[in-house]
Amino acid sequence: MAKFAYYPGCIAEFSSKELNATTKALAPMLDIDLLPMPAATCCGAGDIAEAKPNLYLSLNVRILSQAEEMGADVMTICNVCTLNLRRANKIVKDDPRVLEAVNEELVKAGARPYEGTVDVTHLLWYLATEEGLSLLEKQGPKGLNGLRVAPYYGCQLLRPSSVMGFEDPDQPQSLERLIRALGGEVADYEAKSKCCGFPIILAREAVALKESHVALSQARDAGAECMVTPCPLCHLAMDAYQQKAEEANATEYNMPVLHLPQLIGMALGLDQSVMQFKRHMVSVEPVLDVVGR
Amino acid sequence: MPQTTFDIFRYQPDFSDESYRQSFDLEHESEFTILDAMLELQNEQDGSLAVRYSCRSAICGSCAVRVNGKTVLACMTQVEAVKEEFGCETVRVDPIGNFAPIKDLVVDMDPFWEKFKSVKPYLIPDGPPPEKERIVSKEAMQKIYNESKCILCAACYSECNSFAADPEFVGPAAFAWGYRFAGDERDGQRRARAKLYSGQHGIWDCTRCMYCNERCPKGVDPRDAIEKLGGIAFNEGISWGDPGARHAKAFLISMKTGGKLNETMLVPFTNPIKSQLDVPFALKMMKKGKAPSPIPHRIKRLSEVKKLIKNVKETI
Repeated sequence: MAKFAYYPGCIAEFSSKELNATTKALAPMLDIDLLPMPAATCCGAGDIAEAKPNLYLSLNVRILSQAEEMGADVMTICNVCTLNLRRANKIVKDDPRVLEAVNEELVKAGARPYEGTVDVTHLLWYLATEEGLSLLEKQGPKGLNGLRVAPYYGCQLLRPSSVMGFEDPDQPQSLERLIRALGGEVADYEAKSKCCGFPIILAREAVALKESHVALSQARDAGAECMVTPCPLCHLAMDAYQQKAEEANATEYNMPVLHLPQLIGMALGLDQSVMQFKRHMVSVEPVLDVVGR
Repeated sequence: MPQTTFDIFRYQPDFSDESYRQSFDLEHESEFTILDAMLELQNEQDGSLAVRYSCRSAICGSCAVRVNGKTVLACMTQVEAVKEEFGCETVRVDPIGNFAPIKDLVVDMDPFWEKFKSVKPYLIPDGPPPEKERIVSKEAMQKIYNESKCILCAACYSECNSFAADPEFVGPAAFAWGYRFAGDERDGQRRARAKLYSGQHGIWDCTRCMYCNERCPKGVDPRDAIEKLGGIAFNEGISWGDPGARHAKAFLISMKTGGKLNETMLVPFTNPIKSQLDVPFALKMMKKGKAPSPIPHRIKRLSEVKKLIKNVKETI
């Protein structure tokens, strides 16, 4: 069983609990042991990096150090957490002087210093490899019954590629591989790696809703029956704010949006009550009808 | 010699208001760049094909175009490398995005220069000029080294998602230059610049799509510059007025009080007036369980975090 220090991120723990619950239920089925990190903070979501860059670095290295102490790499289920943790990891691994300065602060604060031995991965990356796909195969998926799924990557799991590096940010295929492996069809569209607007949705809602419109309208026009995303922030922008985007852009999308683990759970026959579709703003019923409950 | 089909965006407003696409076949040297190919087509097949260029050496920043949808400098991108990267025999060439084409691959750069000028991209020292030159340490210059490399090619604007949604967004290259001077120890306008850049369509409008960092052919990382300008705004105490800055402040408060994001506080704190007007939306979110408890979650060993917040000094 593969062991990971599990870093769900704040959104999955609070407003998008359905993501956390589904991931935890799915993990044992896929031979993944998710170890809790009760002392881990928020990654700062790019906001703390923007306000206090040195503080951002020390907070994220503190999280990495906790995983190191647990003897495990970090697994995330959020684009933004993945970028923030990987970026901090790269900064201190690239420059031993920076690591030393950060460790000095950590020790002064009573935290464990970091040796730089941990990697940070996302559930999608783990599963989109040959080994990961074979884990899904082992479960004998009942499949998605040809469901047309629009893969939606968002930004921060792909770019900057110098930090992320799992796949070509201009031709990503990890979600497509999973969708096909689970018996779904891919509804392809250009905006699958454009921004959902979430980072500025509270401060600049009108601009953000124009951004989400691009992907939602293209996915709809590509004939998608639902969208799937590896990021809970993208999920909020695309699902919770979908009606607002419809009003702002004078159009309709009617696009159910699934968290990645929900799509997998659906194909593997995970109990629906665990996946908590009732917490979605846009009804998932039409998707369940296609997959055949 | 390799043979390539180029599928090129054409727009010839002297003859038609409609743009169209045209295919050209070209046999070329294997080392040919996209710019070499465009010039060869211009010389040998169609003299009306318009392309902007000057130095051919990735220094002047004139020849940015989109190749198979990806913005690059035409002079530093080899045709064969593109075919290999995309696994294709036909190479699509388009003008950069988010600017109006004037003719074929040439776009109207006026809005770009307006944005560039708006950040006051020049040194504004305090006081009268010194008698001798100002000596700056290597360490001090290192802080603004990345931003100093910008060649104003506008590749970063071509796929900037904030700029696409809001044409008034000041944008990546302009802010890279903003930081190049705000971060220069000889400049006397640090605070004034942070204020100037913090307004509507300013640094807090960046949606963090990271396309600018991905596309910049010179490694300027404009998003990082925008982030550093945010840090300067915070250091200078300009962090209350704009909802974008308040959003960042809410994360700091969350960190101090529990270690995790307090979403229930984040929304009204970021945008107090708007959140009051948005009660129906808040109620819908609550109905779906998407409004977590206002009592902040408290992580284990929060004291470590509090000490870090107190001790860590910002060097920006």
